[in-house]
Amino acid sequence: MQVLKKFIILLSIMMTASCAVQKDYSKFRAANLRSILIVPVVNRSVDVTAPEYFLSTISIPVAEQGYYVFPVNLVKRVLEDDGLSDADLVHSAPTSKLCDLFGADAVLYVSIERWDAQYMIVTTQVTVDLIYTIKDGKTGDTLWEDHQTMVYSPQSNQNSGSPMATLIVMAVQAAITKADPNYLPLAQQANAKAFTYPGHGIPPGPYATPIATPNTTPNTTPTQ
Amino acid sequence: MNKVYIFLIVIITIFLSGCVTKRYAWNNYDDTLYQYYKNPNEAEVFIEKLDAIIKNGEVSGTVPPGIYAEYGYTFYERGQYSDAIIYFQKEYDKWPESRSFMIKMISNAKNQNKIKDQKTSDTIPTQ
Repeated sequence: MQVLKKFIILLSIMMTASCAVQKDYSKFRAANLRSILIVPVVNRSVDVTAPEYFLSTISIPVAEQGYYVFPVNLVKRVLEDDGLSDADLVHSAPTSKLCDLFGADAVLYVSIERWDAQYMIVTTQVTVDLIYTIKDGKTGDTLWEDHQTMVYSPQSNQNSGSPMATLIVMAVQAAITKADPNYLPLAQQANAKAFTYPGHGIPPGPYATPIATPNTTPNTTPTQ
Repeated sequence: MNKVYIFLIVIITIFLSGCVTKRYAWNNYDDTLYQYYKNPNEAEVFIEKLDAIIKNGEVSGTVPPGIYAEYGYTFYERGQYSDAIIYFQKEYDKWPESRSFMIKMISNAKNQNKIKDQKTSDTIPTQ
């Protein structure tokens, strides 16, 4: 029961935290974006693999909000060919120049603040901390920004009765997590929270209106 | 206690409703790209999976944005410029937002093709 209570408290904190401030979307709406260019990610974490790994998670949530998203890997390669292989350089370039290069309406900049796994005696805490900014290609104004921190530590559900056994199970899990921390689910959660939460994420784009979901399975509802 | 459960159910429904349907047939595109960055030597796997995403997406007409271009670039990297152009053109046709970028990529591919042709025609007479 204690766990349930904690869970509820945690959830309500998360909910209120994310809903407390309703963002101002006037500039975003006025910009009338159709396409978003996601440029390589700036890395302030200690993990050198973080930027590329993160890049693989970011297209889906933005495209699913109804925007055309430029192919992230191709964009990265083209920028590298243009001498912009350093993400910091890309982020310091004028937004309008980047948009001109690709014909994009806006640029999404992401900065990875944390991407680490900390060993804490009987548990390993995996943390992902991200700052997102969308800037207008015409004016260079910031249209939207968000900051997400996600923390995960594996919990042992088995209560074997013996505290020692439980402790051992937890320690083993912590070691496994530390050896090969899986950041992707955390990054995906952070992205989902950042982009899709109502009153907090980005407003639906041009492809969002007709919910085009002609599934592979035949439609059961009669279309007449 | 009942209230607590109702509250939980409501929250869970909200969370679930957010991830029921996807607009596009991504087919684990995120994992595909992740694996490619993790094992850059296994480019063939990446190429095969992109091909599968396209074939699968074309059935339902839900090929995600950027995928044709990404796939086209895998040909470009291997020097198969004519194939690259086919997929850059597909991206161009499907997504108006991609056009100015795709025009550049197509012209790059054409230029590279010319250079390639010149090189091969240069080497032929010497043989």
